[in-house]
Amino acid sequence: MPNLPESEGGASVPASDTPLADRSPIAWVRRLANLLFERDGPYARAFENLIFALIVLSIVSVGLEATSGLPGWVSSTLRVTEIVVVAVFSFEYVLRIVAAERKLAFIFSFYGLVDLLSIAPFYLSGIDARYLRGLRILRVLRVLKLQRHVLETTVAQRTRELAERNEALAQAQAQLTTELEVARALQIAILPSSFPMAPGCDGAARMLPATTMGGDFYDFIELPGGPIGLVVADVSGKGVPAAFFMAVARTNLRELAAHHLDPGACLARTNDVLCTQNPMDLFVTVFYCIFDPSTGVVRYANGGHNPPYVRRGDGSIEMLGGAGGLVLGVMQGVEYPDHTLQLRPGDRLVLYTDGVTEAFNQANEPYGVERLIAEVQAHGDGPADALVERICRSVAVFSGAAPQSDDITLTVLAWRAP
Amino acid sequence: MKVRLESLGPITVVIPQGRLDFGAAAAFQTAIEQALAGATALIIDCAELEYVSSAGLRVFLLAGRSSQSAGRPFALCALRPAVREVFDVSGFSRVIAVHADRDGAVAQIRQRSV
Repeated sequence: MPNLPESEGGASVPASDTPLADRSPIAWVRRLANLLFERDGPYARAFENLIFALIVLSIVSVGLEATSGLPGWVSSTLRVTEIVVVAVFSFEYVLRIVAAERKLAFIFSFYGLVDLLSIAPFYLSGIDARYLRGLRILRVLRVLKLQRHVLETTVAQRTRELAERNEALAQAQAQLTTELEVARALQIAILPSSFPMAPGCDGAARMLPATTMGGDFYDFIELPGGPIGLVVADVSGKGVPAAFFMAVARTNLRELAAHHLDPGACLARTNDVLCTQNPMDLFVTVFYCIFDPSTGVVRYANGGHNPPYVRRGDGSIEMLGGAGGLVLGVMQGVEYPDHTLQLRPGDRLVLYTDGVTEAFNQANEPYGVERLIAEVQAHGDGPADALVERICRSVAVFSGAAPQSDDITLTVLAWRAP
Repeated sequence: MKVRLESLGPITVVIPQGRLDFGAAAAFQTAIEQALAGATALIIDCAELEYVSSAGLRVFLLAGRSSQSAGRPFALCALRPAVREVFDVSGFSRVIAVHADRDGAVAQIRQRSV
């Protein structure tokens, strides 16, 4: 295309540009022009159709005129037609100039010249009849007016369809966002917000999903007779599928924990159940421990999860052994051995998911186990929630502007003495 | 992440390069499925794999399952220490055959198909 309709100027200038109070003839013409070229306006559409009809009529009459031996009444009809066509086209031409923001650019644009040349022969024929024949051929240029008409109509149609589709998409997107926000609130709401009341200990936890919905979870479970179950877990993958599997895993584990007071047996049963409820072939790493606040004894089993750390009262750090059990949800009949840890007064147990150690900064370096251990070592002697807060802030500062790539979950248990 | 393929006679070797995280998992899964379609046995050579996330592990699990149900031997080899640790902690090295190098993986597959 030599020139797009947009480059011809202000067809889309809103009528309100001209104050209604201005009643000068020029302002009136400008308002009319804006009305007739307004995109998608009812008058503009009617005017478009009128122009279209006249273009077709004039092309037909130019063709007829070329045939010789026409009856007198046909010739006079054609003459009248030509006067009407030229009058309307001239009117249109003037209006287009008025409506154009850059008037010279329109006049010398491809379609501006077409408009002028297709009416010029009529005005010039009075000057010198010898040029008449040559000039009349210019009226063929009206075919090109037709091209513009089709082009403009098509563009307007496409623009309308696109706007409608965009609106539908925006609505669907808004609904999806709202629903995901609700689901996210629900997911966070099912995680315990406080640690069970028990003498001599306190605990704290936080889960920060990377996407709207996370696959990580933690849990505190009050077991019969006083012990407390602590869970930290990480579902493979992200988003809604991971969040669903997280809810299934968490519910099953919590329910089975009440009946299986050995952590390994509880994980084994949970695994068997999850394997039958796993259409997406997801899996979940789970660290599960049962802590007795009256003795400081922690019995635990590990289903493929990062081994937790214990910070002793003197500041030294130990990694819990017994890692390497298979993640849950992959294969039925797996057994998980029980291990035991004796907490001493002043010890802290730190459970985490790999979203902490694999938080990346903008230089693509991981936060790493060393930074986590350093934080726990330096700031682990306060309350559990202070340590959770401290580590979360340290990870956030380290990551900076880099996007969070994985869910971050932390759980800290602090034991003083019975 | 990039994936390269090599052929050792009837065995197809898939060589993932770079980081296999959540974003790369779907493409890697497709690459493995395509490789499996034309192979009698599959080796995934992890010598150039720098990192694997849990979503990446899932692809290895699915690859093991598909090759098992298709009756085709499947093995991993040449895991870097960081990747090896992920396989050990998650217990995956107990359920998927992991070899120190490609020769070991080939030997196991030849032995099994005899």
